[in-house]
Amino acid sequence: MATLAAAVLLVALPAGGQVDLGTEEQRAAGKIVYDKYCGQCHGDTGDGNGYATPRVKPKPRDFTTGTYKFRTTPNGMLPTDDDLRRVIEIGAPYTSMPGWPNLTSAEIQNVIYYIKSFSPDFENPDRYGEPIEIPRPLESTEESIARGRVVYEEQGCAACHGEVGRGDGPSAPTLVNDKGDPIKVADLTQRWTYRGGATKEDIYRTFSTGLNGTPMPSYADSLEIEDRQHLVNYVYSLGDGDDPNYGTLITAVYSEEPIDLQDGETLDALFETAPMTRFPLVGQISEPGRNFFPSVTSIEAQAVYNRDEIAFRVRWHDLRADTSGRNNPSLEVPMWDEDNGIGDDGGDSDDFFGEFGGEEAPAEDDFFGDSGGDDFFGDGGDDFFGAADAGPPGAEFSDAVALQFPASLAPEGTPELKPYFLYGDSQNPVDLWFVNLTYGVADTFRGRGSESIEPTEADIVEAVTSYDQGQWTVTYKRRRSSRAGVSFAEQQYTPVAFSVWDGFNRERGNKRALSSWFYVYTEPSVQPATTFPIVRAAVIVLVLELLVVFLVRRRARRQAAGEEAAGGTLAATEAPAV
Amino acid sequence: MLGLNLPVVIVLAAVGGVLAWRRANTLTWLLYTWVALWAFFKYGFAVPIPQSVATIYLGITGLALVCFASSSRERLSETAQPIVRLILEPRYRLALAGLLVALPALAAYNVYADLNVPLEAPGFGREVHPPPPTEMTVHDETVDMATAENPYLHYNHDDPELYGEHLENGRRIYYENCFWCHGDGMGGDGMFAHGLNPVPSNFNDVGTLPILQSSFVHWRIAKGAPGLPGAGTPWDSMMPAWEKFLTTEEMWDVNLFIYDFNGYEPRALGQH
Ligand code: HEC
Ligand code: HEC
Ligand code: HEC
Repeated sequence: MATLAAAVLLVALPAGGQVDLGTEEQRAAGKIVYDKYCGQCHGDTGDGNGYATPRVKPKPRDFTTGTYKFRTTPNGMLPTDDDLRRVIEIGAPYTSMPGWPNLTSAEIQNVIYYIKSFSPDFENPDRYGEPIEIPRPLESTEESIARGRVVYEEQGCAACHGEVGRGDGPSAPTLVNDKGDPIKVADLTQRWTYRGGATKEDIYRTFSTGLNGTPMPSYADSLEIEDRQHLVNYVYSLGDGDDPNYGTLITAVYSEEPIDLQDGETLDALFETAPMTRFPLVGQISEPGRNFFPSVTSIEAQAVYNRDEIAFRVRWHDLRADTSGRNNPSLEVPMWDEDNGIGDDGGDSDDFFGEFGGEEAPAEDDFFGDSGGDDFFGDGGDDFFGAADAGPPGAEFSDAVALQFPASLAPEGTPELKPYFLYGDSQNPVDLWFVNLTYGVADTFRGRGSESIEPTEADIVEAVTSYDQGQWTVTYKRRRSSRAGVSFAEQQYTPVAFSVWDGFNRERGNKRALSSWFYVYTEPSVQPATTFPIVRAAVIVLVLELLVVFLVRRRARRQAAGEEAAGGTLAATEAPAV
Repeated sequence: MLGLNLPVVIVLAAVGGVLAWRRANTLTWLLYTWVALWAFFKYGFAVPIPQSVATIYLGITGLALVCFASSSRERLSETAQPIVRLILEPRYRLALAGLLVALPALAAYNVYADLNVPLEAPGFGREVHPPPPTEMTVHDETVDMATAENPYLHYNHDDPELYGEHLENGRRIYYENCFWCHGDGMGGDGMFAHGLNPVPSNFNDVGTLPILQSSFVHWRIAKGAPGLPGAGTPWDSMMPAWEKFLTTEEMWDVNLFIYDFNGYEPRALGQH
């Protein structure tokens, strides 16, 4: 129907208008592409209700509403074809919307025509706006960044994005999109996760046109062009690089100093010397408790050790400190939380692990725990879409983190052997250094698979924790030698894996963000000297060279002498036959 | 193509061409051979070959070149001539001095660079398609791996409508379960793929589905990583054991769907 109406309209419209709905053939060709590659998420009828929809967040776009996030056109307007093409080609990073580099330009154009046919808005010339002009970025001087910071404060970006941009503003936990789904504020320090692109031009566009359908407003009316350019420079300066630079190894550096967890300053100074590695985290979806949209997508880690002890420090960003609920690695969870409804219990009733219901939170686990409950209704939070109606998200589950090590190193001859990355297996157990951030102390568990996780007390692991401006920091310490678990010898590669639980996202038990196995390497305590081997190599080569020169010259001289004696007239400089 | 870094290969070949055209002398050719090989090993492959392997090849080549140069008196003198002239003729004195300084510097730099390679996590090879068991039990049913086939494949010819229904069900299963890792377009590049090691299989690849029997794929789907033998490093792979979540029919349906989506057919039974 919509396509028919569109076809009629096409004829009726004045030529040169922006409305371009393509031809019948183009839309038909677009439908073929769409049915194969897009319908499973965006729905075969474009309503955003595909097979994947219940299990992804953000939800696939509902094309029947004509509401689009990433546009060069003013707030509330429809995107241009180029805007749509951009999203289809490169996707929206860290969402389930992938880029489609394999589609040809014509296929993309056709699918754009087809997508537009889902919403009558595209037939309405009033919904089209002129794309904004994006000026060349200003040079990123200190003054420009300072001015940008002032704008950031004045415009209230921090209410959502947080003081230093980690997505932890007081309103962050309350935000929902125009469909009532909770929405995560962008972490401005992790530019690689920006969904609409991470260049300065993209940032300028994002806050100039706003993201339709989300609480992210447009500042086109409130900001002069130049201030916007300064703001871009400030936001850009918050970013921790273009690329996450995910690593695979923590290098533990040696120190003579004692490691004292209670002495924050010395501890910080100690960790200053240790390189920091960032590791990717993904949702645990291989076993019940499937976490299709983990909140935390990366964790940073470092390590130092001295004669007797080893210390690890991990850091990650979390929009709020949930420090009043329960959590532990083996807390029962349903197969998956059906709609992940914040504050609802989730879980299908007919799932495998239905007993969850019997494990309700005790009444003391109140929603307004001291974890910053007074922030929930901070400035502005409830202005947007009346998020407060949904009730503030509960802190039924606390934030938590765990390091995982094999209980013993791989046997000789099979260095590749490790325990199963998911809490180990029956033959190869793992040790978990688990910290429930409600208590801030480390508990140790031995895992022999997800169904068998038991507390252990073989080793004492200490921990200190802190939450600052949207960032958790947890520092662990243990003796290097262990009675029952893995010992950290010098120059040893030890497998390590990470888990992070965000209580706000109702992550608990096996519903967590986790990593594959990575390694920690204990650097030798005495670094081998480097100057000597370098000088030695140079000297050896030089001596060899001089030797060759000497031999060749001597030979030439002798030859010349011989030939002179024989009455020859060859000049010594002429090449002698060898 | 072949995992080669084409621009590098082309440049190396071009340099060779120029040398041939300028009728370079034997020494130049020998040097070129060795340096070109070094550059090829270092930059010529999309995925660099291990340093140790390259070192062995370069060592062998170096020896071979020396043997070649000294294989006859004439050749030896022909090769050595430019060197001797460099050393003896006064007009080359500056060049000689430069060389005397440059070579030790190069050697020193090489050692320095070797000492400063960034540490890397140990990597282990894994067998991508290890031999499956001869039989397995899925949902209390024994499956004989040698004879089992996708029970719905034949509908493709016999009953296209029914085939379509199974495909559609497979599509549902795939987009409810698999795309996080294997990707929306099945390129092995789903939104979680960057956090996985080993990486998820790429089903677009001709080296994956078409060379496998549908029973092998059924085994991998049902038993996942935990079902792999040690050679497949089951402890690292995030491939779930789908028998925990899906019925037998659903597993065959998704099996059907991943073949159909990519336009492939399973390898026939008994074909090796
Ligand atoms: C695996 C699920 C999935 C598939 C397959 C998928 N998308 Fe998306 N798509 C999404 C999600 C999720 C979003 C929302 C991203 C966001 O809100 O940040 C989205 C958003 C979009 C948008 C809106 C961008 C905006 O500015 O608001 C367009 C256009 C789009 N997709 C087109 C396509 C096309 C065309 C295809 C097929 C070639 C496709 N998608 C396939 C999940 C998917
Ligand atoms: C009311 C809360 C709110 C305020 C105020 C706000 N934002 Fe946002 N912002 C959001 C939300 C929510 C998102 C994530 C939207 C999404 O991913 O769909 C976001 C996303 C972004 C993004 C990333 C977009 C992308 O491509 O992923 C940038 C950059 C940004 N905001 C900058 C700003 C700046 C600069 C300001 C102040 C001028 C600001 N925001 C004010 C809520 C807000
Ligand atoms: C959590 C990530 C993840 C999910 C979800 C996942 N896989 Fe996998 N899969 C992998 C990884 C990683 C590999 C490669 C390592 C291996 O062989 O185990 C793999 C391998 C495979 C293989 C073996 C291919 C070969 O060449 O031997 C098949 C078949 C397969 N997956 C099918 C599926 C199907 C069907 C689904 C959905 C029902 C699915 N996978 C879901 C991660 C995943």
